[in-house]
Amino acid sequence: MAYSVLIVDDSPVMRSFIRRILSLSGFEVGECVEAGNGEEALAKLDAHHVDIILTDINMPGMNGEELMRRLCADGVLKNIPAMVISTDATNERIVRMMELGAQGYMSKPFTPESLREELERILGDRHART
Amino acid sequence: MPELKTSCTLAGTIDQEPEANDVVRNVASEVLETMFFTEAEPAPCEHAWLASGACARARFTGSHMGEMLLAVSGEAMVPIAASFLGLEAIELTGAQQGQVLQELTNILCGAMLSRIWPQSKLAIAPPELTGWRDWQDVQVLHRCFVIPEGKLAISIRLIAQSTSPASAAG
Repeated sequence: MAYSVLIVDDSPVMRSFIRRILSLSGFEVGECVEAGNGEEALAKLDAHHVDIILTDINMPGMNGEELMRRLCADGVLKNIPAMVISTDATNERIVRMMELGAQGYMSKPFTPESLREELERILGDRHART
Repeated sequence: MPELKTSCTLAGTIDQEPEANDVVRNVASEVLETMFFTEAEPAPCEHAWLASGACARARFTGSHMGEMLLAVSGEAMVPIAASFLGLEAIELTGAQQGQVLQELTNILCGAMLSRIWPQSKLAIAPPELTGWRDWQDVQVLHRCFVIPEGKLAISIRLIAQSTSPASAAG
């Protein structure tokens, strides 16, 4: 099964890297949508169905924390699992993002294998619940 | 054979963190291997190349305030960027090379600080392209590396909370 993915990161090269790593990991990606911050992400979600959201935290405009709040406050979007990908691996940040509704947290650096395992855990949990 | 001198000025607050030196060495190796598909080994300090290298600076604030400089030797920048993006060297733009250097700086800074101070609360500003500076103050953690494609240098310093990184930069 191929999953559609929304990648939210203000760095175009990081978005390209994540796309590449998803491919290298063997994770089956269908449509891959990109956004440069939270506002763009919400606009893309209006027009695209995605199975999972991968988001950075520190972005100009709407950051990852506010995006998580908006997603959780939306009756439909809150059902889309979101995973944070960030350079910030401090305990305080990880706890805060999980409390805001993130279902996974991947701190950089990460390997293709670890990304795939985390995605499969999140999407597996989701399928197990439905 | 004399022991290699792989670090220069190692004094002051950040160097007094017990694991700081190991963290810098281990994180650089891990980041370069897992996300840039190359290998970094500690190397003797030899700074003549720094004037012509590509350099980026990341400033951080919060429970600790300071900045990190990353320099990559000119010959290494294209292969590192190409490897990160999975592109051929000829396909790379100058802008992409700069963005990859900024991303590498961001990843290294975030990973190093998170491991040195896991209980901290830090904000890292978007890295900016700049020139290398040999900070002369004592609170500098510095290490040089060699990679198959060229050389890397990393310096981190803390700045007193009463002094902003911008005014302390130099």
